[in-house]
Amino acid sequence: MHVIEVQNLTKDYGCGRGVFNVNLHVDKGEVFGFLGPNGAGKSTTIRHLMGFSKPDSGSTKIFGKETFNKYYEILGDVGYIPGEIALPAGLTGKAFIAMMQDLQHCHNQKQLRGMLDLFELDEKTLSGETKRMSLGVKRKLAVVTAFMSDPDVLILDEPTSGLDPVMQENFIGFIREEKKRGKTILLSSHIFSEIDATCDRIAIIKDGRVVSEFIADDLKHASRKFYKVTFRSPLGKTVFFERAKNKVPSLTVLSESDAEIEISAEDKDLNELIALLSDISIISFGNRKESLEDYFMAFYKEDKDFKGALK
Amino acid sequence: MSVIKLDKLTKDYGGGRGIFDLDLTVEQGEMMGYVGTNGSGKTTTIRNILGFLKPTRGAAYVNGLSSWEHSSEIAAEIGYVPGEIAFPDLKTGVEFLKCQAEFLGLKNMNYADELIARLQLDPRANLKRMSKGMKQKTALVAALMNDAPVIILDEPTTGLDPLMRATFLDIIKEEHKKGKTIFMSSHSFEELESTCDRVAMVNDGHIVDVCDVARIKNRPEKEFKIEFHSRRDYLRFIGGAYEIIRNQEQYNQVTVKIPAADAAALLRSLRAYDVKFISELPYTLERHFKKVLIEKKEKETHEKRN
Repeated sequence: MHVIEVQNLTKDYGCGRGVFNVNLHVDKGEVFGFLGPNGAGKSTTIRHLMGFSKPDSGSTKIFGKETFNKYYEILGDVGYIPGEIALPAGLTGKAFIAMMQDLQHCHNQKQLRGMLDLFELDEKTLSGETKRMSLGVKRKLAVVTAFMSDPDVLILDEPTSGLDPVMQENFIGFIREEKKRGKTILLSSHIFSEIDATCDRIAIIKDGRVVSEFIADDLKHASRKFYKVTFRSPLGKTVFFERAKNKVPSLTVLSESDAEIEISAEDKDLNELIALLSDISIISFGNRKESLEDYFMAFYKEDKDFKGALK
Repeated sequence: MSVIKLDKLTKDYGGGRGIFDLDLTVEQGEMMGYVGTNGSGKTTTIRNILGFLKPTRGAAYVNGLSSWEHSSEIAAEIGYVPGEIAFPDLKTGVEFLKCQAEFLGLKNMNYADELIARLQLDPRANLKRMSKGMKQKTALVAALMNDAPVIILDEPTTGLDPLMRATFLDIIKEEHKKGKTIFMSSHSFEELESTCDRVAMVNDGHIVDVCDVARIKNRPEKEFKIEFHSRRDYLRFIGGAYEIIRNQEQYNQVTVKIPAADAAALLRSLRAYDVKFISELPYTLERHFKKVLIEKKEKETHEKRN
């Protein structure tokens, strides 16, 4: 049995908005990455998993139980970070944590302490009112309260948006530890490096439909890499392309301007590429990382039907 | 005259929180980035520039006017996108934008329409129901539509998907080209590096460094990481004339530092080897600021010890 399971989930908000026939599952101990442009349906899917919304058709299950009907049996074991944080007003950070502990029926002080340390929330910050907190601090508070009861399932909707790079790193480290401990994690994010560093499998959703699903390692071990070369003159570029035709069969051109090109090539052709470039006068040579990003951008692009105007 | 000027700007919230003695100037047409960890004082600084907060000491100036004393006058000069967007209680985006336009005395909505088209925003949507991205876009349109000469953006791309982020940044870059003076806070070093002229880093309420982006980009040295297929090639290469800054023997991997102009020469000498991969380790804004922070920490521990 899958720990998290979404079957043929459809929720039609009209005008083509919503999610349509979404299928995905996450097994125990797995980190599942959920990617897609803003408005593609990530949060809608996640909100169904949390039992906040009733499917038009299809089902969402956690531990094999329907989330909309049985949320009260499930949510005790689920840690959730919403995409947009709205904390109750009129409370200090500390009071908010205490309230959440009561609601969760769990007062695991040791885990709480660990989480507060990891995300650098000190006494001083926590004694302030939630209303006065900066976005980053609110986000940290949401992260801490989601994890402090040490739940088995983590559902995270863009959990690090607004966190500074140091905290993002801490977060990635934490997710990896949790995975080792056998937690089941669904992570939606826009940050490729974060997905890259944590996920086992990845699905891409676009316009309410899952358009691609694959195993993360397959992409990581891709044998094609991206390079950026600046020639001393546009002529050098022309010469390069002429000679490359025969010598570097796997070469593809991603972009080119006057004397600068972005190309990709298979690793097996690397030595040929080096030989070729060393004969031509170049100013700089570098490689672009994040092949994951290149892969996803192709899905993200493509314009949506547009009907906006003020008149 | 500087367009934005912070003069010993201090807002003390007590208990060490706040911002302290900030000095910074942003010149006409300049784009200044502002980076710092959560809670380091970015938003507090921005709110002082806008005149929303009264400084404890010192002052922020926009076009020579003190922000706090002249907040309504400078408001007309500034387009502002806040970090957390809270719209007034209006029904749709269109209604909000029209209300903003009225407030700004703006009659001509052509530029607003152009922005809306480029951002692919449907402003007829219910304001309350808008997703994060839509809210962000609506706020950007509201900030830019009256062509204000100063633009202040508080983490404008947080939560946007990569494509939308790119569109967003393209628009901001265009405004910069038009000669606008821009102040933008962000957590993304990459983003700041690709858009800003200078970037200031705030840490625990103090500006610890202001960095010229061109200097980061055009460093005189480059670092390359190279991995060889065979042990023999690896050993032969490290015996050569290159300055090796990191050696990972177990992977047949080396990192070399060379003058930027020698990239071609490096490739030439690699012809004689069987290379598994080569990649440049760029000196980025991120590396620069990490270095600054580490140096600062070392200095502090050193001072504590003495």
